[in-house]
Amino acid sequence: MNSFSVLDSLKFSKKKFFRAPQWELKLVVRILIGFLVLYFLAVFLFLGVGGYYILTKESPEKNPIFIINTLLGLYFFADLIVRYFFQSLPVTEVKPLLLLPIPKKEIIQIVLTRSLASFFNFIPIVVLLPFCIVFSVEKGFSFSVWTWFVAIICLSLSSNFWVYLINKSKQSAAVFFGTFVALYALEKFTPLSVLDLFAQGMNLIHEELYWVLIPLGLLYFSISISAKFLKKQLFLDKGLSKKREGVVGANLNFFDRWEGMGFLIKNDIRLIIRNIRARQVVLMGALFLFYGLFFFTQQQYLEQPTILVFSGLFITGGFMITFGQYVPAWDSEYYSFLMCQNVSYRKYLSSKLYLMMFSVLVCTIISFPYSFFGIDVMLIIWASGIFNFGFGSIITLYSGAFNSTPVKLNIKAKAFENTQNFSFVQMLFILPKLILPVLVFYLPYAFFGFNSGLAGLIFTGLLGLLFQKQLLNIIEKTYHKKKYQTLSSFNK
Amino acid sequence: MIKVKNISKTYSGQVVLQLPDLEIPKAQRFGLVGNNGAGKTTLFSLILDLIEASSGEIAINEIDVKKSEDWKPLTAAFIDESYLIGYLTVEEYYYFLGNLRGVSKSEIDQWVQIFEPFFNGEILGQKKYLRDFSKGNQKKAGIVGTLIGKPELVVLDEPFANLDPTTQIRLKNLIREEAEKYGTTFLVSSHDLTHVTEVCNRIVLLEKGVIIKDIETTSETLKELESYFSN
Repeated sequence: MNSFSVLDSLKFSKKKFFRAPQWELKLVVRILIGFLVLYFLAVFLFLGVGGYYILTKESPEKNPIFIINTLLGLYFFADLIVRYFFQSLPVTEVKPLLLLPIPKKEIIQIVLTRSLASFFNFIPIVVLLPFCIVFSVEKGFSFSVWTWFVAIICLSLSSNFWVYLINKSKQSAAVFFGTFVALYALEKFTPLSVLDLFAQGMNLIHEELYWVLIPLGLLYFSISISAKFLKKQLFLDKGLSKKREGVVGANLNFFDRWEGMGFLIKNDIRLIIRNIRARQVVLMGALFLFYGLFFFTQQQYLEQPTILVFSGLFITGGFMITFGQYVPAWDSEYYSFLMCQNVSYRKYLSSKLYLMMFSVLVCTIISFPYSFFGIDVMLIIWASGIFNFGFGSIITLYSGAFNSTPVKLNIKAKAFENTQNFSFVQMLFILPKLILPVLVFYLPYAFFGFNSGLAGLIFTGLLGLLFQKQLLNIIEKTYHKKKYQTLSSFNK
Repeated sequence: MIKVKNISKTYSGQVVLQLPDLEIPKAQRFGLVGNNGAGKTTLFSLILDLIEASSGEIAINEIDVKKSEDWKPLTAAFIDESYLIGYLTVEEYYYFLGNLRGVSKSEIDQWVQIFEPFFNGEILGQKKYLRDFSKGNQKKAGIVGTLIGKPELVVLDEPFANLDPTTQIRLKNLIREEAEKYGTTFLVSSHDLTHVTEVCNRIVLLEKGVIIKDIETTSETLKELESYFSN
């Protein structure tokens, strides 16, 4: 049998990339992402090198490794969660390989090896390698640092494989979930501290070399159990099949009362709850609700209302921005269909606009607990809400018209992939979305005080509402002008 | 029903479609045949205003498709699976179309029962999303969807491909019945010469964007087409 190596598989992926439509644009985006990744690597590198000195300076009597160990448990937990949302095995690419004379064992090796090339697997290496080198230089070479290093890498790689199991098998997901609940209960309700125990275990590995066998064994076990699981999955009706979901959101008849418009909004709500990608994006929008916690908890920001306006805009407009920037790309999969249906652009656009405005209303209501931070904070949120309701929503809708990269609805976005719709025009729209509201707050605020700042925001929002019809006319014209261009890029 | 006036479509200097005048009267079952790259889908896309013509114009019921959207209420099309909304169930998709074409939920529930034999029990009440249907069943669902609200013009691209033999025969009857009962105009493209000659009363043969033959279907048509394509 001819062998098919990881290298061949990579070559295929390379072709897939360069032969994809609009690959030039994607390349530019990749390069930008590349810079972003480099930036992160530099930050982590600094963290690794500087980390040693910072830790020894802060508490010179303690071994810095022991301090790190106290944090590791939490790190691995967070790592697993983030991976769960952003990492997937490149399994679907193996389908054409199945009929070729390549042993299944090799296919499995390829899939597992390629999964190692994930951003998350590099974080511990990039942070800890420089740390360990500095440690060895400063304290003299010893094996113990390096066994500790190996142990952490093993654990991190193990979680790489666990995530796959959790994603694909309900049983493993249940086992992991059960374990977490049990560990949390132990930590919370008994004097036993799981995190401490974990830290002590890691200390032990650092002190006595042979304990490193445990993480090594764990990694071996994780790999072999994944390989075994994968082998069973390499059939069209198992792991390679599309997952079939049960129907959710069937009863949204409430919207039918809103004649002429309700069914479009109903459809958008189904789009959001029934598609992985849409759920992911909307979840991000929901996370913006907590944005205020960064700023409102710190006295220095509370004294700078201009900064607080930013949080107000994100809190009330999180969903609006994350959802709105992909209008009309959300409907890209069936855009030709929509274009020959009896629905006017006006109606289509209005339904999206109303959905965004509605979300601003909901977010503003939900943000009520922020009143804990004082009446000023609450007033800023409300004023920002009115701005987003009237003006932000329609600007977001306008910005979507320039976004012609299709969205694959039911496919999970990888880490950083949400930037695929990045473009210069989208960058420009940050001006009216974020800079303008800050200005209309800041200018009156600087001259006439806090209340005038609020009035500036509210007034701009009301202006948006007042001229909504005219603004919609402009957007409609833009959509008309870009119709064929949008269709052709959505159909690629 | 449709008037094509001197239309052409060029992609980077290459002419892919070049039609002088073509008129399709109401209630005609118009068949379009031709090898790959003949320009069938291009013509359909031009009629549906999904691509821009390089020159000339197309009118549906005297409405210039480029200038006005008033042809949309009269027209329905199923070109491929992207004409379905993948995350809806069949029923939800039909209600959605009903909303667009002014047909109520209960009317659709009742109307759709006529198609039970065509659906062969595999479409309605499935409790799964359209994206999870097989290709053939997606096609069945899509074709019936075009008939909601009795549009005057129905455009179907390759409707026979991916269908099982029983459904192919039922589809032919369905098209004939609809055209007869409601005067629906059908535009059908197909690679299957037998089916298209059986179902259409006029056949246009395209080759590299140009009309080669424009014939009224007779018992000789199939032979004529077969002899053309075997050369």
